[in-house]
Amino acid sequence: MAGIHLKIVTPDAMVYEGDVDSVVVRTVEGEVCILPRHIDYLAALGTGEARIKVGKSVRKAECSGGVIHVTGGRTVNILSNRFSWKDA
Amino acid sequence: MAGASMKDIKLRIRSVESTKQITSAMQLVAGSKLRRARQRMEDTRPYMTSIRQIVGDIAAHRDVESPFFNEAADGRTCVVVIAGDRGLAGHYNAAVFKIADELINGESVVLPIGKKAMDRYTHRGAPILSGDYIKAEYVTAGDCRAMADLLIEGYLEGRFSRVTLVDTTFVSAMTQNAQATELLPIKRPEQPSSHSQMIMEPNPEQLLDAIMPDYLTGCLYGAVCDAVACEMASRRNAMDSATKNADQMIADLSLHYNRARQSSITQEITEIVAGAEQ
Repeated sequence: MAGIHLKIVTPDAMVYEGDVDSVVVRTVEGEVCILPRHIDYLAALGTGEARIKVGKSVRKAECSGGVIHVTGGRTVNILSNRFSWKDA
Repeated sequence: MAGASMKDIKLRIRSVESTKQITSAMQLVAGSKLRRARQRMEDTRPYMTSIRQIVGDIAAHRDVESPFFNEAADGRTCVVVIAGDRGLAGHYNAAVFKIADELINGESVVLPIGKKAMDRYTHRGAPILSGDYIKAEYVTAGDCRAMADLLIEGYLEGRFSRVTLVDTTFVSAMTQNAQATELLPIKRPEQPSSHSQMIMEPNPEQLLDAIMPDYLTGCLYGAVCDAVACEMASRRNAMDSATKNADQMIADLSLHYNRARQSSITQEITEIVAGAEQ
């Protein structure tokens, strides 16, 4: 049930593009979890761990600065200054 | 006369040939650099389009107030000029400077990127915001971030009230357009936003302050990547036509050489025949 189309981009490159189930990121206000059919949402990102859930697997990454943008309940764009997978 | 002229022509052919070797080598180098620059340009596009759209969305909210929208301000302009690092790239540098020179007056501050831009504006004595970005080819996203911070600081302190970017956009390997775009203040779109229900955290004003450096970084880095690709494409085209011209010249000169050789042979035969008849 992958209900979110997620795109993660940094100024240098597109880091990730694909369908996922949920996205957890740390904004400047605190941690948020984006699930399918989320309201349109725009928030500045702080520095912290991002967790991307696809099926039963969860990928973790270091994410620092930037912005998260949710539109239409299923399109999520993360624009980050630095984004690196912990498992890579 | 024919002998001396034959020697002259031969020398000229040799000199054109060595020039041709240089231009065709430069063409190959520019071609391979162009491939790399185009790849980098493609990689930066998604970030640029997304960040523009997001800033556009925030700007569409009529009730958001921020110094970044302050259009009324009348004052000095900071012109960011992105030009090449070297010459011999057709009219690439000239096209950028033509547009930039119209914008730059005695009051303007210049942020040059690329050695040619740096040389031109230091020579003219224009006030330079920062002279750290001399090699456009090696400017990184981190450098663009530093430039963005510098521009925002100057803008908010009121040292200039406008930031204009003069760069070249890559249309195709054959076509590159020099143009000027206004980075700050941000223009509000004509239509109010369709995302009026959007939740913005912490609040639209603070959010805008937070992503402004990202926005400028994206714009600058995208522009630099485009400009580098344009420089390489422009140089490759210029060197391609120089090589073709050299080929044409060699063909013409060979024709002259052969004609001179033939006429000297004819003359010699005529002389021998005339001597034998006596």
